[in-house]
Amino acid sequence: MTDNKKIHLLMVDDEVKFLETITKRLKLKFFDITSATNGVDAIEAAKKGQFDVAVIDLQMPGIDGVHVLETLKKNHKYLEVIILSGHATIETAVDCTKIGAFKILEKPCEFSNLVDAIKEAYEKKLKKKFEHDQLRIKKIEALALGQSPLGILKELAKMDKDEK
Amino acid sequence: MKDTINFINIEALKFSGKVNASISHELKNVLAIISETSGFLSDLTDLAKQGKDLKISLLEGCSESIAEDIQRGFATIKQMNQFAHSVDVPIKEVDLLETLELTVNLSGFLSFASRVQIKNHDDEIRSVLTCPFLLQNLIYQILLFTYESIGPDGDILIEFNSKKNDGTHLLLSSPAKLILDGFPTAKIKKTADILGVEFSMNASPVELSIWVPNESNEIVMLGKELQIDSYT
Repeated sequence: MTDNKKIHLLMVDDEVKFLETITKRLKLKFFDITSATNGVDAIEAAKKGQFDVAVIDLQMPGIDGVHVLETLKKNHKYLEVIILSGHATIETAVDCTKIGAFKILEKPCEFSNLVDAIKEAYEKKLKKKFEHDQLRIKKIEALALGQSPLGILKELAKMDKDEK
Repeated sequence: MKDTINFINIEALKFSGKVNASISHELKNVLAIISETSGFLSDLTDLAKQGKDLKISLLEGCSESIAEDIQRGFATIKQMNQFAHSVDVPIKEVDLLETLELTVNLSGFLSFASRVQIKNHDDEIRSVLTCPFLLQNLIYQILLFTYESIGPDGDILIEFNSKKNDGTHLLLSSPAKLILDGFPTAKIKKTADILGVEFSMNASPVELSIWVPNESNEIVMLGKELQIDSYT
């Protein structure tokens, strides 16, 4: 069972009242939430915080949701993104899935469906991170056998850089 | 004339689709807020059942929010209804202020819409004989063009400047940087030509003057064609 308190969530929607209310409800479920009302603020918030899951609207002033999704997926390799929009067409849903959206939910959506989707996205993120860490350990083990101490340090630094 | 009617039909479909999509988006937002607020009320009720003390102001806030959004939904449906009825008669006398207000409200559902203020200095009713649906389409296109340069945080002012030369002048300006490069687009120009609407632009300060004729021969001719067309 996932402990909601561990899930760092980024909620992005330009409809302020909706954002405020859904944030209150998610807080009652003990999620750790940061909210943003536009794409620029969302991208900035993601740079500063370590988020597990982002829930983003598609139609927003300035940078739209598809662009936010693209930027977040490019810069934060473990972050899972859920699209929650009243404006999703089949075409945008296909585009978002290709870019890497975890799930596309239509507004208004059942609150329990959103909560379940956030938990599933978090579990996927953990699994991806775990698999990646396992691979990293194997690489380090292989390095330890065949490299000099300095060579190992150089390779580790390179792996750390790739991690970011 | 056949080309003109084809153009009107194609543009009408596109315009209608665009406006309907933005209205449905608005209504989905309204329903989403009501749904989440009523869900929040239910969450609070569960907490109260568990013995948690609740502030009455929280409950009052929820019920006020629901009432507000029901009103927002009603206002949207009223605008949708007005918009739907604007095709009832292809050519008719319309109140220019009403048409402008409706179109501004409809374009306001777009996420990139700027804030628009309308000023009618002398409170005079400006009625024009026109194709209401096409006039809405033209105003909508002009607004979208200006929203692109002003952005969602900017303001646009539309003033009923004067009533002369058998028509009404609307003056569009903004305290922000209004860019009119490329205006009018080919589509705006063609729509304006059909309606007999003319534009003139000031460079400093950047302002757009829109002249809407009280009536024109083209409109009367178009009215006859569209009446015939609507029965065939």
